[in-house]
Amino acid sequence: MEFEHYQKVALYGFLLAAIFGAIANRTNFCTMGAISDWVNMGALIRLKVWLLAMGIALIGTQTMHASGTIDVSDSIYLSTNFTWLGYIIGGFLFGIGMTIASGCGQKTLVRVGAGNLKSLVVLMVMGVTAYMTLRGLLALLRLQINDPSALDLSERGLTTQGIPEILSMWTGLSSSMLTIVLTILIGGGSIIYALKDAGVRKSFDNMLSGVGIGLLIAFSWYVTGVLGYDDFEPVPLEGISFISPVGNTVSYLMTYTGSVINFGIAVVFGMIAGSFLYSILSGTFRFESFNDQSDLVHHLWGGVLMGFGGVMALGCTIGQGVTGMSTLALGSLVAALSIVAGCAFALKMQYYLYDEQGWWHAFKATIGDMMPSRHKSA
Amino acid sequence: MTEVNQELDARNLNCPLPILRAKKTLNGMESGQVVKILATDPGSVKDFEAFANQTGNELLESTEVGNEFHFLLKKS
Repeated sequence: MEFEHYQKVALYGFLLAAIFGAIANRTNFCTMGAISDWVNMGALIRLKVWLLAMGIALIGTQTMHASGTIDVSDSIYLSTNFTWLGYIIGGFLFGIGMTIASGCGQKTLVRVGAGNLKSLVVLMVMGVTAYMTLRGLLALLRLQINDPSALDLSERGLTTQGIPEILSMWTGLSSSMLTIVLTILIGGGSIIYALKDAGVRKSFDNMLSGVGIGLLIAFSWYVTGVLGYDDFEPVPLEGISFISPVGNTVSYLMTYTGSVINFGIAVVFGMIAGSFLYSILSGTFRFESFNDQSDLVHHLWGGVLMGFGGVMALGCTIGQGVTGMSTLALGSLVAALSIVAGCAFALKMQYYLYDEQGWWHAFKATIGDMMPSRHKSA
Repeated sequence: MTEVNQELDARNLNCPLPILRAKKTLNGMESGQVVKILATDPGSVKDFEAFANQTGNELLESTEVGNEFHFLLKKS
């Protein structure tokens, strides 16, 4: 049987994501968990594992870019349409959403594969909301926020929103040299920072998830950029991301006979399949369900905020945080930092709301904690 | 048999809630007292190990009972 090039891309996407899902299931790779460990107990190990993955993805991607294997400036992350307000608002809302939904898009898919029915509900709500934000009712709101605030960087003589190119305009240094310097500084720096910790270096699981996920994301660019290349109908250049793809998956399932599979949809199925297979083989598959009404409400809101915020910010903890960061896009950095801020805010709110002294009390205490000088007061 | 001073039901709650609630519960306890935590999230096993390592509160016990995970944490 001969595969069309787009089917080959989908197949590779499925396989890459299945490995990702299995690794994430085994090693508990979780960005929200990483931020929670940091905010709630001052533990940095999981954040370092995440940085290890990001550093490896960055170096891998930029190496392929420099060698001409792929051209990351074709990706959405480097668009000259710089929707800064969308990155900030979308990222922040996504950060809140992933905290109250027990994990981001990636973690939700892993949990679905492991039998968590709450995450199945989150997945469906997130997918519908994401699609509504892409093409439906909520797209109007997204455009209301993005259109007036967006900066057209091409008017300023830029061809991408890459941090190296922006710095090059300011400093006069060459953009390709700055790309190398930043790749080494950010990518190499993150890897060294992570590996200096024996808790990362000496743990098989931590190394497996940091190195493995970083390599998978770098390779995902290769799949769409090289295997997906076709003279007439090249597939769009993209790496692993989850929020728009989950929206597209919902649409794909509903309009199957009139739809064509793509990389993102295959990634969604792959993540669930990989996690499912691992949880069956390791005997950890178990059904989990809602505790009570408030648990359900939190997860519903979490799905809505992730679907809306993730599309608005053009990505999630992986889509912007790792895949987008690997292109050195300024928007990816802004979105990733906004996601972290939203997550930290929601974690603190959850902590103070448990006092049952009301929202205002919790909000004041949270803001107090998030001010740098008083960070450690909790 | 360890004397348990407080019990925290974190069943059917997922990360980060079991840790958040444990932290809050420990805040209201005296040094040396023990809290028993009931959870169902498989991720909570690693979470409570990390929590104990990081905060110095001792994880006296971590057991799987049927479909649940039980932890005994002693406040430092």
